[in-house]
Amino acid sequence: MSETKCPVDFDYHGESLDAIFDTYKELRSECPVGYSSKYGGFWFLTKNEDIFAAEQDHATFAVAPSMLLPSFGTEVPLIPIDIDPPSHAAYRRILLPLFTPKAIDALTPRVVEVAKNLASSIDTNGVADVSHAFARPLPTIIFSALAGFPEEDWPRFDTWIDEIIYERVEEPDVAKKAADEVFAYFDDLLARRRNEPDRDDIIGYLLRAQVDGKPLTHDELLSYCYLLFLAGLDTTAWAIRSSLWQLAQDREAQERLRQDPDLMPTAVEEFLRTLSPVQAMARTATRDVEVRGKQIKAGERVVLAFGSGNRDEDQYEHSDDIIIDRVQNRHFAFGVGIHRCLGSNLGRREAVVALQQFLEVLPPFSLAEPDQPWHGVGPLRLSFDKKGA
Amino acid sequence: MRVTVDSAKCQGHNRCMILAPDTFDVDDMGFAHVPEDMQVVTEGRRESVEAAARNCPEMAIVLTED
Repeated sequence: MSETKCPVDFDYHGESLDAIFDTYKELRSECPVGYSSKYGGFWFLTKNEDIFAAEQDHATFAVAPSMLLPSFGTEVPLIPIDIDPPSHAAYRRILLPLFTPKAIDALTPRVVEVAKNLASSIDTNGVADVSHAFARPLPTIIFSALAGFPEEDWPRFDTWIDEIIYERVEEPDVAKKAADEVFAYFDDLLARRRNEPDRDDIIGYLLRAQVDGKPLTHDELLSYCYLLFLAGLDTTAWAIRSSLWQLAQDREAQERLRQDPDLMPTAVEEFLRTLSPVQAMARTATRDVEVRGKQIKAGERVVLAFGSGNRDEDQYEHSDDIIIDRVQNRHFAFGVGIHRCLGSNLGRREAVVALQQFLEVLPPFSLAEPDQPWHGVGPLRLSFDKKGA
Repeated sequence: MRVTVDSAKCQGHNRCMILAPDTFDVDDMGFAHVPEDMQVVTEGRRESVEAAARNCPEMAIVLTED
């Protein structure tokens, strides 16, 4: 071995995502564990079993200082994703009861209603941007109501999310300014909410919560709200958008799911596996550790490329094909281990219901511009078949 | 065949609840278990239980042949 680090300039943000599935395939074959010089330097793991092992070994692969690389415009550790054991579990437990299957079932009629209304409002005569008209507003409406983000504030959310999540790579100052604004927004919202502590939403749960017998500090509340704001809206919008992008190019799948909406949960697992909203998250090695012959030193960042593990040919048959009735589909779209996405079951349900309603309400559709990227929450322009055509 | 959930591994993905709702149940925090009277897997539930085990992201579902 002449190279000890297998260095490449691997990136998993912005335009790198355009061809990232080809990149992953090459890396899994040539450089399954490698070192990128981007973002201050990081190791990356691309094989399914290596990612799983690292996720299970949270003592070696810690989340502090942050699993976000680069950061979301702030150096504040975000609760609970940037917190390691032993404190982590207590922060997380606060919100677990809000995301059980029973809780999600109770929310579902509202998700159906919102999805149906949004789909019905789409004008199918011209080209429609369904990211703007459907994929983004659905989680904004559902999650904001659950969280307690007031409706009059919703119009401000998309710009903040775009600046923090998408512009942070090229324009960190823009992300930082937006992050400061969002922190100021929650500072104000939390101050107002202290006068109505009994409300049955996420902010209410956080205000009433105790960790080690003490309520959360104001800074802890701010950090938790900031994380939920970014995690609850953007990822689900991405999942709905990328699923529609895929379906727009697969008329057969559209028709099959239109005829058999009960197949949608299975199809959504496949869209999540192959077009994961969160392609990768970072860890930091707490000790020297060897992975697949590579020597990772204590203190070095390690990126777990979930999106690659989800397409690993050693784990899935025809791993790059999107097969809507795939039965064997154990994937890492929500991560695994103790940091598994807290809202995964809400995200899943929103995506399933959104796509069912979209297909039920609207005529068959195609991409209006064939070269639209698969990723992100940017515009997704569709054209629809004429009724009766 | 018997089925149980390794509670040290379960992280509450609830894939098993979707794939084999007859067999699995969850607690108030969303973590899965198999009620005692469901742990012996009858022939009619075998396929769904095996699907749940294969799809568990944490590999937390334990199957043991009699």
